[in-house]
Amino acid sequence: MTLAQRGRWVTGTALALLVAVYVRALVFTPVERFQGLAQKIFYLHVPAAWSAMLAMGLVGLASILFLLMKDYRFDRFAAASAEVGTVFALVMLTTGPIWAKPIWGTWWTWDARLTLTLFLFFLFVGYLLLRGAVAEASLRAHYSAVLGICGLVLLPFVHLSVYLFRTLHPQPVVLKPSAPSLPGSMLATLLFSFGVFTLLYVGFVMQRYALALAREARGDG
Amino acid sequence: MADGPSNGGYMVAAYIVAAAIVVGYALLLSVRTRKL
Amino acid sequence: MGDVLRHAWVIARKDLVLEFRSRTALVSAAVFTALVLTVFNFGRDPTAVATVDLAPSILWVTFTFAAMLALNRAFQLELENQALDGLLVSPISRTSLFWAKFFANWVFVSVVEAIGLPLFVLFFDVPVGGVLLPLVGVIALATAGFVAVGTLFSAMVIRTRFAELMLPVLLLPFLVPPLIGAVQVTAQLLGGRPLSEVTGWLRLLAAFDIVFLTLATLLFPATVNE
Repeated sequence: MTLAQRGRWVTGTALALLVAVYVRALVFTPVERFQGLAQKIFYLHVPAAWSAMLAMGLVGLASILFLLMKDYRFDRFAAASAEVGTVFALVMLTTGPIWAKPIWGTWWTWDARLTLTLFLFFLFVGYLLLRGAVAEASLRAHYSAVLGICGLVLLPFVHLSVYLFRTLHPQPVVLKPSAPSLPGSMLATLLFSFGVFTLLYVGFVMQRYALALAREARGDG
Repeated sequence: MADGPSNGGYMVAAYIVAAAIVVGYALLLSVRTRKL
Repeated sequence: MGDVLRHAWVIARKDLVLEFRSRTALVSAAVFTALVLTVFNFGRDPTAVATVDLAPSILWVTFTFAAMLALNRAFQLELENQALDGLLVSPISRTSLFWAKFFANWVFVSVVEAIGLPLFVLFFDVPVGGVLLPLVGVIALATAGFVAVGTLFSAMVIRTRFAELMLPVLLLPFLVPPLIGAVQVTAQLLGGRPLSEVTGWLRLLAAFDIVFLTLATLLFPATVNE
């Protein structure tokens, strides 16, 4: 089986399991008492966040490895991971506000999580735009790697800034967000979802990598 | 069933949007890698 | 180490002499700053919000845009005359080149800010009297952060399509953390409150500067090597 075919299999499996996640989250997981049904968005939003962060982390790692070893496989992987990361960041950026509205009373809040999501999205999009704007392969790979590493280093600073900002300007809450310790059933759903989103990441990256390989072979990569 | 506030509409919206994005991208990729 | 600094200074001085001899870039940046401040003035309702509440934001948004404009031309000179290749072939190390560019950019942006600050004080009637020195300190600190990442990115951007658009899109996310810190500290200073309350922000600014200067120094060779 080619990489693309294996990627399709992995993605297909992940999508099937995603249906299972949906069913489990919507039907078989208890409703949170204070937040109501909207709390269930949590089971999609948080795993998407994990996938997006994983994608970013791997872009950074692959970038470092590329600069050290000049192996273009790392560059190709970084590009794939960045595109896939953008998709998950988009899921975060849409489900986040939809969750925020009933819980915090407003569509957008500059809290740590949503702000970081926005920055992640900006970084991914910037990375992809940079790649699109450089025609020569070696230059593109080097520039992307530099941006990838800088982006990864930026994230803790964004988090710190927002955290410091928030402690100065705490936000009024309409409904209190759920406590960190989740009852067993909810935790199980969450972990299941984490697994599925990770699998989705893997399947997507496999296909995207295969696509990049094919484009390079054709001469327009 | 719901003890809390009735905000199920948001839940539905989020679940649909997330599915649309994920499935949409999956379709995009499978079309682009069709012959590979 | 001594060589690195010496070489950096030679190139930086050359850049600065060129910039200040022609003065076009400097005057344009200064006029731009004045215009942005003017736009801000008309973009607000003075009866609704007290000036001193908005002042830190106005100052720093203006400085951010001015810095971006200034950085856009950072490698323009070299690109126009293919002088960059000449510099790269010379025995001057990449590190020296980065520090030269960083220093020249930092001076340039600082001069623009030095023109902008009195205009800001004038236009918005801001009480900077007792806090001028710490204010200048914060400006220098934040500017170093802007220019560190800005120099690195402007080196890359000159060889991309739509360079003038690419730089802001790539750079602005990186300017936000120092911007937040700078605004908070400036607000603190203009409000007459002691700096001791904002040590967290000052440390964040300093950490950002150190981390990104180091990172930029390390990564700069990757942007100019072939």
